[in-house]
Amino acid sequence: MRGALAQASLIRHRARTALAVLGVAIAAAMLLDMVMLATGMRESFRELLLSRGFQLRLAPKGTLPFDTDATIPGVSAIIDTLRTNPAISDISPVLGASIHFVGSGRDVSGSAIGIDPAVQGDYELVSGRDLASTDDIVVNDFMWRQLGAHLGDTLTVALGYDPQTRTYSGQRRLVLVGTVRFIYGANDQPGAALRREALEGMGGSGASAGRVLRDRASLFMVRVRNGADAEQVRNWIEAKIPTVSAISIATAIAQVDERLSYFRQLALILGAVSLFVGFLLVTTLVTVSVNERAGEIAVMRAIGISRSHVIQQIVIEGVAITVLGAVLGLGLGLVTARYLNTILSAFPGLPMAIDFFLFQPRAAWSALGLLVVSGIGAGIYPAWRAASLPIAESLRREAIA
Amino acid sequence: MLAAQAGLKIGDTISLAAQPGAHGDKVIVAAIVRRGADPSEVARGDLRVRLHLDQLQTISGYGDRVDRFAVATTPNTDVSALIDRVNDVAFGFKAYRSSDIAVETSRTFQVVSRFHRAIGVITIVASSVFLLCIMVLKVEERRRDIAALRLMGISRATVIRAIVLEAAVIAVLGSALGIVLGWAISLFVNWHYRGVYQTPLSFSIVTPPIIVGAVALSLVLGIGAGVLASLRLARTPPLQLFGR
Repeated sequence: MRGALAQASLIRHRARTALAVLGVAIAAAMLLDMVMLATGMRESFRELLLSRGFQLRLAPKGTLPFDTDATIPGVSAIIDTLRTNPAISDISPVLGASIHFVGSGRDVSGSAIGIDPAVQGDYELVSGRDLASTDDIVVNDFMWRQLGAHLGDTLTVALGYDPQTRTYSGQRRLVLVGTVRFIYGANDQPGAALRREALEGMGGSGASAGRVLRDRASLFMVRVRNGADAEQVRNWIEAKIPTVSAISIATAIAQVDERLSYFRQLALILGAVSLFVGFLLVTTLVTVSVNERAGEIAVMRAIGISRSHVIQQIVIEGVAITVLGAVLGLGLGLVTARYLNTILSAFPGLPMAIDFFLFQPRAAWSALGLLVVSGIGAGIYPAWRAASLPIAESLRREAIA
Repeated sequence: MLAAQAGLKIGDTISLAAQPGAHGDKVIVAAIVRRGADPSEVARGDLRVRLHLDQLQTISGYGDRVDRFAVATTPNTDVSALIDRVNDVAFGFKAYRSSDIAVETSRTFQVVSRFHRAIGVITIVASSVFLLCIMVLKVEERRRDIAALRLMGISRATVIRAIVLEAAVIAVLGSALGIVLGWAISLFVNWHYRGVYQTPLSFSIVTPPIIVGAVALSLVLGIGAGVLASLRLARTPPLQLFGR
């Protein structure tokens, strides 16, 4: 009965109801997008860091992974130290450097990482095969296109370039054996990977001979055994190895949170504004609707319809507009989120796996829940006004009108 | 930022080294400087030290090298021709115009700017629907007044003009209030984010073209909504508006 009356009231003014539903839908879409933005970025980054199961990263003391050219000396000694902790299952040292491809007619350069293929967590093979010997190299799609090379080609790769003498240093001939996708790399950055010992061998042995890379790493990725406390291992590493900063997933997320706090705050403000606009729209619509039907409501009260019945009917009207708008807004929100994500994914140097707008059912339910609560809230004031109308006076005013 | 984190003050003696734990140079903190207005540094918590070039070259083992030269030109210099000449004769380096480098380093801001524009469009669509809805309600609320006017012989066109005029006045008043509110929010945004990111950059600027654009848009939306709503009522017979 209450539902039928509410439905009749909404259908009576189709255009007005449709506009209100559309308004709520846009507010709901914006709210959903902002909830996705606020939670998605962090979740996406966490998933990315955990995608290969490494819970800890060791970077040169006071730096973030690959934030500077600094390297950690004494890789063998550090691995030996780490192996004494039974909670650590895998250690993947990574060495980073800039490389140049020589003799391709033009200077093709990019970043390269030296890894141990057995424990690496930096890339996924796309085509060809993985690094089997120190003579192999794999590149990402971007670099592959720039090189215009084929799998099986032998390429001359140099570690250093002296612009004054226009000579390359640390040259080595490597066979292109595969193409890869770097998990933490950006789409628009040329990248390559080779075995760490191969990259080390291309470095100089003294300051005058170029960059010294022997027994050095830019980063260690550490996998902790199931059941072990990663934070405890992190503290142990910081105490045992003074040349590194041990970074856990929580610390890394906190760093990213700090750098991208702007988007979280923007999401919070715009989300709150959307919710308020939706609330205001429903309140206005239902209030006007109640004012128009003052006489009708007075008649209902006069023939014995209870005050709670009237309140429920009007609250149902508000909730119905909100729910309809929210359902429409869900689809609209997903479309706009995809578009906005495309814009933000153009951030320079951002790993391609990072999503600013990550759809999570919990986030969608939260947005919907907030809207329904605001819809109930929006109906309460007009409902209270309607239920409090003096019956006789309202009927008299209606008769005169 | 470094001074705050490390508890440094002017006159302190510290040791500077290129590698952690290495024996470094003893230096005295002569001044604590504020970060410059560089978009590429916003949101980065980099700790920075300024020292003499030769001292940094010694500490880092860089030798007689630099990363870049900044070149100031005399007034009326043809910068493009100068860059071409430098690049023709240069041996091992390339010259760029400062503005080109600025564009490259502010790519992050270009992305943020595009994002803001997209959010702006969504906000405008939402405001339009909201405004239209409010105007429809406002006009419909007065259906009996309009019916009375029509029955008294006031022409349909006069009724529409009156409603549109009212909508325009509301839009102007709303725009004025919105400009004051926007200006106040802009001040708050700049104050807040300058503090968060430790930068003198402006994050929000209210300019005359933005004000004109906002007022024009709200006028168009307000008048458009008024026209739509009034046309709907003006077409309805007066007795029907009375509910008879």
